[in-house]
Amino acid sequence: MKEQLIDVLNLEEMTPDDIDTDAPLFGDGLGLDSIDALEIIVLLEKKYGIKLANAAEGKAIFTSVRSIADYVSKNRKK
Amino acid sequence: MGAVSAAGDCCYEILKTIRNDLFGIQSYNYFSPELKDLPVGKAWVTDSELLGFPGLEGKPVSRTILMALCALREAIYAGKVDEQKYSKDDPLKVVLVNATTVGGMDLTEREFTQLREGEGNAECMCSHDCGATTQAIADYLGVFSDYTTVSTACSSAANALLVGAELLKSHQADIVIAGGTEALTKFHICGFNSLMILDHEPCRPFDKNRAGLNLGEGAAYVVMEREETVKEVNDDIGEFGKVSIIAYLTGYGNACDAFHQTATSDNGEGPFLAMTEALRMAGLKPQQIDYVNAHGTGTLNNDLSESAALRRVFGEDMPAVSSTKGYTGHATSAAGAIEAVITLQALKYDFFPINRGWIVQDEGLIRPMMDDYAVEPLEHVMCNSFGFGGNDTSLIFSKHPVKTTAATHEVPQFEVRELARVVISGTEELPSVSEFVRPMEARRMSRLMKAAVLSSMRALREAGVDSPDAIITATAYGSVELSERLLNQLADNEPLKPTWFMQSTHNTIAGELAIRTHCHGYNITYTQGSQSLDWALRDARRILCQGSCKTVLVECHDETTPLFRQLMERAGRECQQEDVKSIAIILSCGE
Repeated sequence: MKEQLIDVLNLEEMTPDDIDTDAPLFGDGLGLDSIDALEIIVLLEKKYGIKLANAAEGKAIFTSVRSIADYVSKNRKK
Repeated sequence: MGAVSAAGDCCYEILKTIRNDLFGIQSYNYFSPELKDLPVGKAWVTDSELLGFPGLEGKPVSRTILMALCALREAIYAGKVDEQKYSKDDPLKVVLVNATTVGGMDLTEREFTQLREGEGNAECMCSHDCGATTQAIADYLGVFSDYTTVSTACSSAANALLVGAELLKSHQADIVIAGGTEALTKFHICGFNSLMILDHEPCRPFDKNRAGLNLGEGAAYVVMEREETVKEVNDDIGEFGKVSIIAYLTGYGNACDAFHQTATSDNGEGPFLAMTEALRMAGLKPQQIDYVNAHGTGTLNNDLSESAALRRVFGEDMPAVSSTKGYTGHATSAAGAIEAVITLQALKYDFFPINRGWIVQDEGLIRPMMDDYAVEPLEHVMCNSFGFGGNDTSLIFSKHPVKTTAATHEVPQFEVRELARVVISGTEELPSVSEFVRPMEARRMSRLMKAAVLSSMRALREAGVDSPDAIITATAYGSVELSERLLNQLADNEPLKPTWFMQSTHNTIAGELAIRTHCHGYNITYTQGSQSLDWALRDARRILCQGSCKTVLVECHDETTPLFRQLMERAGRECQQEDVKSIAIILSCGE
């Protein structure tokens, strides 16, 4: 998941080791923003066949790398 | 005036639809099966009907061009432009100020799967870009002595009227036909979808349950003249019937929110500044405005920030406000002109267009007008258009002239000086953008954006200017690299990447530079092929000579890719050789 995030969010100078699995992704943590949330939504759709109805839904799921990974393993269609 | 939209294929049809609340958005997206449940405001006129223009049979012509021809034909006829032009010994100078953002994308995206394989008909590249779209329109109609294209996303057409008014006031034109045109494309439907701001039901502007916008399409134009020209012409062409004045464009303002590429600030700073400037120019108090045609897209963000801005401007004296996008959809670059036509008809016939789609009051928002009956005749009306890049424009139309409009530009002429000029050619220097941009910001910038930021920030540093008073950008083709990537995604049936889409509009650069330099001032983007920079410089000199600005950042950026170069060559068009070229100039009035 970390590798995929680095790829879709163009986190060019980061390695998976730089990202804390449980740290917040938005705001104070990694510093991602609403555009990144949209990118993660596209990633989930493309790679795992998960469709979110609106951007607000993403906010609740994308709290940390672990929370995204958990959500994906429960809901993946492919 | 002339107009084509989902509410009707001419001004009268649109008036009838809205005045009688006949129907709202009725079509569904027909481009891609996976998005077929998205309502869109498709103009009723079909491509084959539009191809009835003589001489176009059998040629690849974009719907953007066809709808423009349709609306312009109506405007030229109704405004007696041909008769006026030749009413004197020397023909009057008629200038087209056109607005579009997708340009000929509707044709290009259809051909692209073949084009990228080196096959298909590359002729569509002749009208692919916005400037070439305008050129094709002007060449076909033959009435214009000059033309230019403004591309500031969803505020484009409102800015075309503003630029047109300035060309008239500075006597660079005698008659201006200003407006915009935009066809629905899979490209921007899928792009807006990737930003998750499309409502899957007919849009509900200002409603508590609003869930986004519906895209629309269309074209609309207004014929604009100085009042004295109308008087002179009317003395000369009596035999053809006199030219009648629908309204006076008494005020206009453009400002940049300088907050975010696609969202507006919570307090609506940009919209507030645009409306305030328009009122100042018209010399009107807020309580004199009788009606506001809001931008009112139906997205959570727009309606909230526009309400905040309206409350800041009007306070307790809130005039009737409505969004008419429930009838037309959001016709992006044409929206400002379609809504100007609607607002002008409301002014002429004294009624309020109602806010179709609104049911439930949202406590955080203004309460839109749902009753069309105006007790008093309307005198002053306002029309708002806001776009990506935080580009915000407000127009005020009045039934009678106001005092301030009588004086055209009798202003002191300042000498214009160049303070700095920086040129970036090729991609080698682009990593140096890290001098000005943090890695977290640089990671999503396209190479054209990096070049633009690098040249502009260097030029500003050289000139010792932190924040310019205005930003004027020029580009012939915009971000070719990102458009190509998005077209590849479309051709491969992949969802579009939001980061690429939001940077693919021409005025992303001007928006980004405004955010970086905290510049809330005049912000505009010209795109007219090799003439783009000339138009930008002309505009910069004009505002500096007037004394309304002290420093202006003028830039021009273009890029190319191997495929783009190849396609342009196949279409017999010239194309720059450098991968990326960017120039930034700081101009100042000589105080």
